Amino acid sequence: MSASAKKRIMREYTECMKDTPAGMKINFDEQNMTKWEVLMDGPEGSVYAGGHFKLEIIFPNEYPFKPPVVSFRTKIYHPNVSNDDKGSMCLGLLRPDEWKPPNKVVAVLRLIQSLMVEPNIDDAIEPSIGNEYKENRKEFEKSAKDWVKRYAK
Amino acid sequence: MSSPADVDTVGGPPNSPSPLQIRASNSLNSKSHRAPLTKQPADLHLLEYVHEPDSNLVCLICHAPFDRPVQLFCAHFFCKDCLEHAWRAQHDGRKTCPTCRSSVDPDKDLRPVPKIVETMLDELLVKCPNAQAGCAWVEQRVNVHDHVMLYCEATLVECAQHDCRLHISQKDFHKGCLHYTVSCEDCHTSMMKKDLEDHQRTACANRSTNCPHCDTTLLRLHLDAHIKEACANVTIPCQGSIVGCTFTAERTQTNLHEKSCPMATMAPHFRDQQARIERNEARLEPLTRKVGILEDGLSSITNMLYPANDSSTTFPVTNPLDPNISYSFPPTNLIPTPDFRLPPASFPPVPHNESHPSQPPFDSQVHHLLTLHESLRDEVNRIANALTELDGRTNMMVINESQRTKDEMLHTNAAINGMRMQLHWLMSATLQQRNSARTSAANGSAGGSNARSTAQGAGAGAGASVARPGPIGDFPNGPLRRLSDSTRQDTKL
Ligand SMILES: [Zn+2]
Ligand SMILES: [Zn+2]
Ligand SMILES: [Zn+2]
Ligand SMILES: [Zn+2]
Ligand SMILES: [Zn+2]
Ligand SMILES: [Zn+2]
Ligand SMILES: [Zn+2]
Repeated sequence: MSASAKKRIMREYTECMKDTPAGMKINFDEQNMTKWEVLMDGPEGSVYAGGHFKLEIIFPNEYPFKPPVVSFRTKIYHPNVSNDDKGSMCLGLLRPDEWKPPNKVVAVLRLIQSLMVEPNIDDAIEPSIGNEYKENRKEFEKSAKDWVKRYAK
Repeated sequence: MSSPADVDTVGGPPNSPSPLQIRASNSLNSKSHRAPLTKQPADLHLLEYVHEPDSNLVCLICHAPFDRPVQLFCAHFFCKDCLEHAWRAQHDGRKTCPTCRSSVDPDKDLRPVPKIVETMLDELLVKCPNAQAGCAWVEQRVNVHDHVMLYCEATLVECAQHDCRLHISQKDFHKGCLHYTVSCEDCHTSMMKKDLEDHQRTACANRSTNCPHCDTTLLRLHLDAHIKEACANVTIPCQGSIVGCTFTAERTQTNLHEKSCPMATMAPHFRDQQARIERNEARLEPLTRKVGILEDGLSSITNMLYPANDSSTTFPVTNPLDPNISYSFPPTNLIPTPDFRLPPASFPPVPHNESHPSQPPFDSQVHHLLTLHESLRDEVNRIANALTELDGRTNMMVINESQRTKDEMLHTNAAINGMRMQLHWLMSATLQQRNSARTSAANGSAGGSNARSTAQGAGAGAGASVARPGPIGDFPNGPLRRLSDSTRQDTKL
């Protein structure tokens, strides 16, 4: 990774520190600045409220020309998060063809937060959960809350 | 701030590089044949800024203030390098604006940014890129390149030892290769010699000591300087000793004495004077060399202007490869010769410098040579002017001459045209005659065989002979017929 890309990540971290979205904490290791660990509280009013989620943001070598890779390290019942041990997310500006170099990590964090409040059903990575969300909201909420209790406390 | 090019011309003649030249020796136009000090120029993306930069001046790709920004036609700005990097990273090879994705034609759609943006970028305050290595320089960004490449003592350069591939900071360059292992005397740790001073300043476990005279605690590294300049208990002589005072006591006592000692009050003045003399002597050296060069130059000018005085063997400044250089064109060949590269601004401003009245003979010598040089230059200029005038006059003459020739040609053309017209008329007249001759011949035969159809036959025969191509074979008979038919011809025409 080029020195100027490292510098950019460094600057983005400083920016994030000044303006961290509510309910988030970023663990940053200067020795390995291409891997951020984010601790995110489930947003108030959403089915995930009360849960604490651990996310990982990995910056590829080509950053900022390629998007950062975001994955949930805590299991979450969500149509946009893959239901395996990777917990990967790939939608909106995180998609390589949607990503633009001027985008910032803060925007990514905000996107994740808003997805937790309202999932994007049209872009679901887990279609069964997406369908359930559309057709049987009660069941969905029950499972989601159940997972929060089980994994995210 | 002076640019590298300015720096290059300051100082002595080209074969004796001044310290500044040695520093500048890796600038492009350097003539020095020494191994260049290879330095990495500062990467503007990595600079530390003193203040948070205005967000409008920040590149959205590298998140640093723009470095050589360009503007796309969609009014988005990026660093030149960042934009190129973004395009390289695009796999399909399309060139689009990283912000709005409109496609970009790099030949047409890249524009320079407004001047004011560049000025604002230039004026941002930055820290020296070598701040970690101890350089405290803070200045406008526009100067950072010069600072790093020329002045910064902490810039890394290649080691002077030619078989040593390591780097060393510029301030230690002249100390030779410091890439050997030494052991710190105070703590017996081994390290490279170049790191020893830093170690003794900041890291050594045993770096503090007490002054043997006054018991102050200080860095071992600074002990010598402390004893020499600050320690209150060290015995020193009165400052006036250079003018004859013999008082000697501990520093505090001496300081008291100096307040009342007349010789001590005079001492700084004497010291200044001494320093000035030394400075002047040091300055004399390059000036003497410069005068030598000027004298050489002058004698070659003289040789050129008055070749009768001397044989052409003493022509050190003309280019021997160019046989076209004759005595008549001195100005263009003379001025750029290497010996005249010293710009007038780098001459010592001696004649009007009141603070150095002690060198009149030397000043006047330079002054004399300078005036001589000036007058010769004037003369050369006059010759050049005369040449230009002559050139103009010749041009005028050629133009006049060619104008006259052109007129004459026009005349001749007109005459030729007239002749052609006449010829044409004659030709058509001849043709006409021949035609009518043939018609009359046809009429004659028709009349012989069939007398009834004479009138219609004449008309038809004339039409047919006009349509037929010219009967060249008949030509030899033409004049004979014309003679016989001349009366009819006249009536037909
Ligand atoms: Zn940039
Ligand atoms: Zn654009
Ligand atoms: Zn510096
Ligand atoms: Zn070395
Ligand atoms: Zn030590
Ligand atoms: Zn002392
Ligand atoms: Zn004294």
